[in-house]
Amino acid sequence: MSTFRRAQSQAHPNKTSTLMLAIIMLLILNVTIQIWLLYNGLNNALDHNPGIAIPAFVGSFFIFLINCGLLYYLPKGRKQ
Amino acid sequence: MNEKIPDWKNDFPISQAETTDVTRRQFAKFLCLVSGGLATGSAFVAAKSALFPEKKVSGSHRVCNKNDVPVGGTRPFVLEGSTTPYILIHLENGEFKAYEQKCTHLSCAVFYKPGTGKLECPCHNGWFDAMTGEVVQGPPPRPLPKLEVEVKGEDIFVTGA
Repeated sequence: MSTFRRAQSQAHPNKTSTLMLAIIMLLILNVTIQIWLLYNGLNNALDHNPGIAIPAFVGSFFIFLINCGLLYYLPKGRKQ
Repeated sequence: MNEKIPDWKNDFPISQAETTDVTRRQFAKFLCLVSGGLATGSAFVAAKSALFPEKKVSGSHRVCNKNDVPVGGTRPFVLEGSTTPYILIHLENGEFKAYEQKCTHLSCAVFYKPGTGKLECPCHNGWFDAMTGEVVQGPPPRPLPKLEVEVKGEDIFVTGA
């Protein structure tokens, strides 16, 4: 049985590619932010400024959850 | 010719392309794994700084006699019960300064360059101001940790800053 989604995917196969690229770009951006948070949390902790480390961790963990959520939207592979 | 498929191909039915090619799905999942690793790293840093804060130097410690360090000269020392290397500097203006002798970049030993008023880290060309310990140039992200220096009579003492 054909569905709307399947018909759409067949009519516009490039959508999958665009979506995949968009998700990967978002993931790379989020990972970059996490690297920045880790770097600054660490440097401030070593500089006797421990107040930064905990908010940095909370932010980093939140971004990790967002990244896991993004995986849900990964397009399915083309059905054989 | 009757070519027989070797047994190992049945045991490991994975083509070479499958083992080397990375699909975009796999790449996205890998990025998510990296993200989890970074979050774990941040958790470790937060836990370390909140639960096991670095001990500050307490009390006053004698380093050496004032005349042991000529002007422009330095003297390395360690405090009792600690392995952290420190360096005592007799600046050209007559002041004494004491810093941790570990570059804040990758912990190489730093050296005072006489006449310049700067400490040099030879590993990656990092420079620190000998008066304040601030970074002047190079990759170090933080100023050098310093100790307060007190001259009592002929002796030099350091205390935690």
